[in-house]
Amino acid sequence: MKYSVLVIAVLLIAAAFIAGCTQQQASTQQTAAAGSQDVIRVGVIASLTGPASNVGTNMWQSAQVAAEKINADGGVTLKDGTKKQIKLIVGDDESTQAGGQKAATKLITDDKVDILVGGYSSAVTSAYEQTIAEYKIPYIVTGASSPIITHRTDIDTSYIFHHCPTTDTYGQYTTQFIDQVIRPAVNKKLGAASDRPFRLALLYQDTAFGKGIQTAVNDTITKNKLNIVLVSQQSFKMGESDFRTQLTAIKATNPDALYLGAFPNEGAPAITQARRDIGLNTIFLSAENNDNAQFYKDVGQYGEGAIIESRFSPYTAPAGAVASAQDAFKQAYFAKFGTYPDMMGASTYDGVFIAAKAIGNAGTTDKATVRQALVDLKMPQAVEAMKDQTISFSPDFRDSGFDLWM
Amino acid sequence: MQLTREKLIPYGTAAALIIAVAIPFLTDNMFIVNLAVLMLISIIFASAWNLLAYSGQGSLGHAAFFGIGAYGSTLIAAKLGITPFITIFLGAAVAAFIGILIGLTCVRLKEWFLAMVTFGFAIIVQTLTVSVLAPMTGGWDGIPSPRLVSPSIPGYQLIEYYAILLITIAAIAAIWYIMKSRIGLAFLAIRENETEARAAGIDPVRYRLLAFALSAFIAGVAGALQIHHIGYITPELYGVDNSFWPITYVILGGLGTLAGPVIGTVVLTILWEGLKATGITFARYVVIGVILILTIIFLPRGLVSLPEQVQEWIKRRKQKEPVTEAAAE
Amino acid sequence: MDNLSVFLQILFWGLYAGCIYILLATGLNLIFGVMKVVNFAHGEFLMIGAYITATVFFLTGFNPYVILLLSMVALVGIGAVVERLCFRPILGTGKLNEIFLSIGLIYIFQNGAAMIWGDAWQSVKSPYDGITIPIGSLSVPLDYIIIMVVTAVILSGLYLFLKKTTLGMQMRATSQNRKGAMLVGINVERIDIISFGLGCALAAAAGTLWVVSGQVFNPYMGSIPAVKAFAIIILGGLGSIPGAIIGGLLMGLAENGAAFLLGGIWKDAVSFIILIVVLIFRPTGLFGGKEG
Repeated sequence: MKYSVLVIAVLLIAAAFIAGCTQQQASTQQTAAAGSQDVIRVGVIASLTGPASNVGTNMWQSAQVAAEKINADGGVTLKDGTKKQIKLIVGDDESTQAGGQKAATKLITDDKVDILVGGYSSAVTSAYEQTIAEYKIPYIVTGASSPIITHRTDIDTSYIFHHCPTTDTYGQYTTQFIDQVIRPAVNKKLGAASDRPFRLALLYQDTAFGKGIQTAVNDTITKNKLNIVLVSQQSFKMGESDFRTQLTAIKATNPDALYLGAFPNEGAPAITQARRDIGLNTIFLSAENNDNAQFYKDVGQYGEGAIIESRFSPYTAPAGAVASAQDAFKQAYFAKFGTYPDMMGASTYDGVFIAAKAIGNAGTTDKATVRQALVDLKMPQAVEAMKDQTISFSPDFRDSGFDLWM
Repeated sequence: MQLTREKLIPYGTAAALIIAVAIPFLTDNMFIVNLAVLMLISIIFASAWNLLAYSGQGSLGHAAFFGIGAYGSTLIAAKLGITPFITIFLGAAVAAFIGILIGLTCVRLKEWFLAMVTFGFAIIVQTLTVSVLAPMTGGWDGIPSPRLVSPSIPGYQLIEYYAILLITIAAIAAIWYIMKSRIGLAFLAIRENETEARAAGIDPVRYRLLAFALSAFIAGVAGALQIHHIGYITPELYGVDNSFWPITYVILGGLGTLAGPVIGTVVLTILWEGLKATGITFARYVVIGVILILTIIFLPRGLVSLPEQVQEWIKRRKQKEPVTEAAAE
Repeated sequence: MDNLSVFLQILFWGLYAGCIYILLATGLNLIFGVMKVVNFAHGEFLMIGAYITATVFFLTGFNPYVILLLSMVALVGIGAVVERLCFRPILGTGKLNEIFLSIGLIYIFQNGAAMIWGDAWQSVKSPYDGITIPIGSLSVPLDYIIIMVVTAVILSGLYLFLKKTTLGMQMRATSQNRKGAMLVGINVERIDIISFGLGCALAAAAGTLWVVSGQVFNPYMGSIPAVKAFAIIILGGLGSIPGAIIGGLLMGLAENGAAFLLGGIWKDAVSFIILIVVLIFRPTGLFGGKEG
């Protein structure tokens, strides 16, 4: 019996192995066939496996919804008037640097994509930026929130466009919001003098993301000489689910508000634990990517007093064109996948539209022309609120400007 | 026509070398060349882990040495402006030095204890990198790393591929030499029976430390190569996954053999990319896990022992058959 | 809040974290004692236990503390299957093999769970959510009291089982002298299966308690607690159950202390620093015997 099991196992492995080899051949042949340029090939780099798979899957699915909508509306119009459909090709970065590099090289050299969208973790994205630089493929980064992505000087980042607010933007907006809105309100409520310093506590993830927010908050306060004191700055490791010790320390400093530089899977339990276990009843402020359905469900009764800054929120958006666009996107996504998109999904959805628009404006898939089209791009905002209701990339670091809600 | 072990080794080696040299000529697809580069680096890494296991010490935190080599090389290259071709060995020397330090705490420890200490060590190193050492290492943000071969040189990808191929061959040759030498014999003796080894005049502590230093050095070279290939370094390098992959490669290929890590890495890499091309995501890892367990149970000496095993089964079948036929009648 | 009550509060959270570690570590220790194998994938049973509890809870809305029992029973079964299929064939083939096998199990369980339940993080709401009890200067949510009581009940139950029942005595006999146990007619393979299953059930209990305490969970949650549990049993001495309990408490306290004093990033590292320092001076652990 032992041997029959082994034989079956070996056969299965061999089958998978052969399948693998032929699959790869098939995909190269496919590439050769598609050389005729009847479609626009958009590569999506997302983390489909590994620790970031949850967000990565959401990004990939959002991209699919976007592509379907573009194709249903007839596709992208080129200079000569012909319309071309969009074809998405996904590359799984496995949430690792080597995986990201493999995915990027494959999409560029094997699948021969015309433009790239996606990229979640800043660490993973930085690993293939040089590949992008070498092959000069326009890349719209829609997930990595570290400003470093487009600020690197050791390589040519001119083909990389950042359509995702950076941690600088998060921290700055929220801090200014605290100063302008929350501080006067709290002082009024407490009946304190209007020059009473606001006591802010920070609980941040000890990663590029959390530390970026921490730095931004500190810088904003010093630079603008805001009347805010940071009474406590506590950190936690990524993926933490027990924040009670840090929260106890924060409570001891009597803050007026707590700003969470955390992912949703950390933000929700942190707020719940703060209120339920620690009895910390202050105002909670969260970074924008906490804006998803599960977060609200989880925080539940403890969510009172939680404020989230956001540029895409089916849950908090003020009514208007953006809100209805969001609603349409959300419904289409739900119809296809049975769940709802989140923040990074929304920016990836936008990203595919930006890619289509840029190629349409350029009228060709020539890389340098498309890049120039992205530089010159001015298109109305889609599902995310943008500065001046327009998507455009800044000339210095090719960041798009976002309008954030609270 | 028996394929004996003696014939298989030289033919196999020659074939592997020819294929390795020819890959860039067989395809103009840079994806394949890039994959081959990463595969070569994995082979060095897996071989390094295998060398330590050869001396009877199983590490669960080899990503630590991989990462230290990478950071060491990057920092030296960036600060002093030396070419990465030299700094990969300097960075690896740093890894070897740290390897000796961690080896010192491990020499008295056995299997599980050692596994735990090395596992924890990788986590400690990662924590230090992002906290105390952050001013130097860039913390979680990471820092850019100079390329092994500057992209401004035409055909740099091929130069890089052949450079890494040469280093891989050198590393395997070095490990082969170590395994054949007195040092290798001493490693074996310690692994099989420490008391007897001691009786034969072998100092286990010295050789254990030596194994740690050598293994950490080679792992450091692999790490430095990968990071100079990718061009950017972040502390994710110390992750648990990065410690587990070389183990998976070696176990599948054949623990304690020279060819094991090579065969294991090649087979698993192709399988992995093949499975990825079919579009499955999580199931990929399940397949790898099942293969790993089946290998441990049914093929404890790995794929390298497959030809012998198959011959043995055939022989046994042949012996069995007349018996069953007789019984049927 | 003054410093003392902050200190007490943090001590309390350490105690709570310790409870989960103790359950995991005791399970590992039980398996090690009888079979002399170490399963690095033990944390995956914690994860499966958590998912089973959560799934039943979402379907039926029963009190999660009652589902705890169901989850434990289910894990006895899963544990038995894993023992029979994976660990039995490699018993006695070298200690490194178990470690490698565990890596395979980690891949299978984590990604299998992601295929079945998805990889999104989830949470469960305890029915006693929001009830707090004042103890001295602290006010402690009822859930944590229940968690500590449940842990104590499970551990005393295990103690009685090992001391008073025939099966328990057979298990202790096997753990002390396997060959001797075989000689007196104990079916050691049966004992192996039972102890492996029991160990997994303890992990399921830990997983359930993790879930009800308001922490989120996903398929990758198990690996770090498992390695820490293993560090704990090394700290306490392999096979020593009192060692596991003291080690678990120590680790829970040390981690929360480190998170408070040094920052949250040190939470994992501090466990291993303690482990390495202890092993330098006592290579067999704090309470370990001569067997290494």
